[in-house]
Amino acid sequence: MIGMYHYLFLGLALFVIGLLGSVCAKNVIKVLIAIEFMLTGVNINFITFATFCDNANFDGYITGLFYTGLGAVELAIALYIFYLMYQKKKSDNIEKYSEL
Amino acid sequence: MTDLILDNIYLILLLPLWIFLIIMCGRFFSVYVNKKIIHSLTLLSSFLGGLLCSVSLLKTEGIIEQSFQFIKINDFTLAFGLHIDKTSLIIALVLFIVSFCVQLFSISYMKNEEKEYRFFALLNLFNFSMAGLLFSQNMFQMYAFWELVGVVSYLLIGFDYKKEKKSKAAKRVFIINRIGDTALIGAIILTSYFMYNYAGNLSFTTLGFEDMNAISTLLYAYTSTPQFYLICIMFIFGAMVKSAQFPFHIWLQDAMEAKLPVSALLHSATMVIAGVYLLIRLLPMFMLEKPLLIIICAIGLLSAILCSIYACIETHPKKVLAYSTSANLGLMFLALGVLNIKAALVFLIAHAFIKSMLFICLPKEGENINYITLATFVIGALSLAGLIFSGVCAKEFLYTAVEGNKIFAILFCINSFLTAFYITRLPIVMIKDREIEKSFDYSKYIPAGALLILNIVFYFIIRRHLTYQIAEPFWLALTAWIVVYILYTRNLLTRFPAAPKFIENFSYKIVPFVYEKFAGVCSFVDTKILGNYKPLIFAASMGVKFSGLIEKYVMDGSVRAVTALCKKFSAADMKLQSKNVQSYNAYAFIIITLILSLVIIGYTFILIQFK
Amino acid sequence: MISNPVIFYISAFILIFCAILSVCLKNVIYSLLASVLVFFDAALLFYVLGSEYNAIIQASIYGFAVPVIIGVSIMFTGRDAKKHKGFTLPYITILCGGIFVLAFLYIIMISILAMPDTFNLQELVQVSAFDTLSAFAKGLFVNYVWAFELVSLLLTIVIAGITMFNQKRGGIK
Repeated sequence: MIGMYHYLFLGLALFVIGLLGSVCAKNVIKVLIAIEFMLTGVNINFITFATFCDNANFDGYITGLFYTGLGAVELAIALYIFYLMYQKKKSDNIEKYSEL
Repeated sequence: MTDLILDNIYLILLLPLWIFLIIMCGRFFSVYVNKKIIHSLTLLSSFLGGLLCSVSLLKTEGIIEQSFQFIKINDFTLAFGLHIDKTSLIIALVLFIVSFCVQLFSISYMKNEEKEYRFFALLNLFNFSMAGLLFSQNMFQMYAFWELVGVVSYLLIGFDYKKEKKSKAAKRVFIINRIGDTALIGAIILTSYFMYNYAGNLSFTTLGFEDMNAISTLLYAYTSTPQFYLICIMFIFGAMVKSAQFPFHIWLQDAMEAKLPVSALLHSATMVIAGVYLLIRLLPMFMLEKPLLIIICAIGLLSAILCSIYACIETHPKKVLAYSTSANLGLMFLALGVLNIKAALVFLIAHAFIKSMLFICLPKEGENINYITLATFVIGALSLAGLIFSGVCAKEFLYTAVEGNKIFAILFCINSFLTAFYITRLPIVMIKDREIEKSFDYSKYIPAGALLILNIVFYFIIRRHLTYQIAEPFWLALTAWIVVYILYTRNLLTRFPAAPKFIENFSYKIVPFVYEKFAGVCSFVDTKILGNYKPLIFAASMGVKFSGLIEKYVMDGSVRAVTALCKKFSAADMKLQSKNVQSYNAYAFIIITLILSLVIIGYTFILIQFK
Repeated sequence: MISNPVIFYISAFILIFCAILSVCLKNVIYSLLASVLVFFDAALLFYVLGSEYNAIIQASIYGFAVPVIIGVSIMFTGRDAKKHKGFTLPYITILCGGIFVLAFLYIIMISILAMPDTFNLQELVQVSAFDTLSAFAKGLFVNYVWAFELVSLLLTIVIAGITMFNQKRGGIK
């Protein structure tokens, strides 16, 4: 029988994979993909809690919807910033972007 | 109780926001493009804010609470509202006064800049976020405004975002501030978690400021000692970063890239005050454990002394002032550490007026200074050193508070000597590579003069209410002043080409006359009296040689050792600060994992003990 | 919701496997393909959890739109710069990741143990399709209408801002 905790474990695993990817990966686009993984992992948590704890109103589902939309917006802005940086640096290696 | 002003006190908060929206949206739809409208609206908002603050300060007795429900999740209700008491009203009053003067100054300063409207809109937003921080009802709301202050400061520091240096400095300021923010949100969440699990009253969960005493007692009762320490130190860490205490005073240095009005705001009554205010609010929590207070004192004193030493080495006026801000905030931390909120507030207000005045009086890069500005600057510098006006009150009152502890008193005295040294030296350094001219610059006189008058008025008001005596810091500051005078000011008077006539007369007729007479007396003494006593001269020359040796080996050596230590310290710091965002991310992740595992281990110990 | 262990385990395996593959692959395009699989798999999981609407949105945004824009941006980065190897701070971070996972597992276990008796998971309510739609509509346009407006404002700002920037810079070359 599949319960709430299975889904929570799954979300956690996806989140941690995304986290490690975003910290370790060398390619900027890969980092962005990893950040999307993190968002998806959190979203799985949202939907899970909505399904198992609160099926009467749809608050959790709607939060998940907003979350998806905001994730897409964030990715669009990040890619635009990447585009501007790429014009300057001519490389997608993250080592080249280290000039804080 | 129905009162027109006290009922509508939220207007203080909403006016700047409203004006910000008017300026931004009006610009967007090309409605209010006239500059004068923008200027007068901005001035009006801060003036009305100050007026409302002062009226409500006179009227209110106790605490005003207004709130409405913001978020509700099962039994967790987050309110959004106002919690106003005298402390926050006083700080807000100072904030609005200072920002009024600074806005007045920035009208002329920003005359030829591009996108001036954006600057004024951001100044309004800054007022809004800071007032929101001061009036917020619970910790969560305060955190939101805390972040907003950081964001707006980022926007203001990087106002000339097309210049690469400035935008980079703004970025670094923002990211260093984020470290403190992370610690603060962690502490807030942990406290909220413990309250949620253990406190009977669910309204404690949102950490409202009205029951801070009860919350801290409960937290102390229900957490183990290491956990309590962890939470409190995280709070202190957050306040420390925001107030630019010792390891993090670097962000204030980066913030020096900002324009003068922004620095005047940032250093006096807005951003750096947030940390002190947080500590004032949380003082009931730190009172429960004595070592925490000592930690606060130590942080304050350390940054006070180290930043003063740095400031003595530095010659760039803005950087010296930045170091002195860190040092003075350290003294505020010290005042809070000895549980004297009154001293901290007096010090804060005096420092706010003086520091903003000093910044307004600073000349632009490569510009000349005119002598009225210079005179105002000197008065401000002496006041900051604790020699005249409100500086004396603040410093001596604080010294009376810390006098009981000998170590604190000695360190405080050293700090006051150093402060007087660097701040009285600063005008002399400043006029060294600048001409002094006679032209009038009314745009600086009005705000600086207003702040000076406020400083004096504050001095006379506060003098009657405080009991203090002129003690060691004053005399040490005087000594420092004399030292600076001897070291740096030779022929100072001749550097005033445009001085009024009587000074000219004074310098070219009376002084030479007096000098001649004096020299005659000296030579008389020298030849007739001292000349007959060669052993005395020999002894004197030996004394000079001996003091030279001491200076060479003891004093220079110690200074060199200190600088070498500082260099090593900063080299070690540099290694940690790689410029890669990913590595910062990794550090944050590692720290979060450590905190998480510490909390879990503590929790497990509690479980084992109770079973 | 569908509580079938076989579906769950297969989809969970695909999800984690593809996520790891996407992080570890050296070629960006392959990792993008793997990530598309992950996103679709998440949509499948949402469907299994009983929220068709979320599944549709997830599939349409993350399954179609996001890979397209990422693919476009990979396309203009040129061919030579696609392969990078090596990690920053690999061992410590991976160790920390392991500790992180363990810590969260521990928290979840503790929360199972410490769950009070009064806290009952509500019984699953079966709703018909029309009910779902009306409930979503009520949630979006009545309860959370301000959030909805805020998000739409944000989207508008993003689109307008990017267009404006491009006009100023003379368009994408």
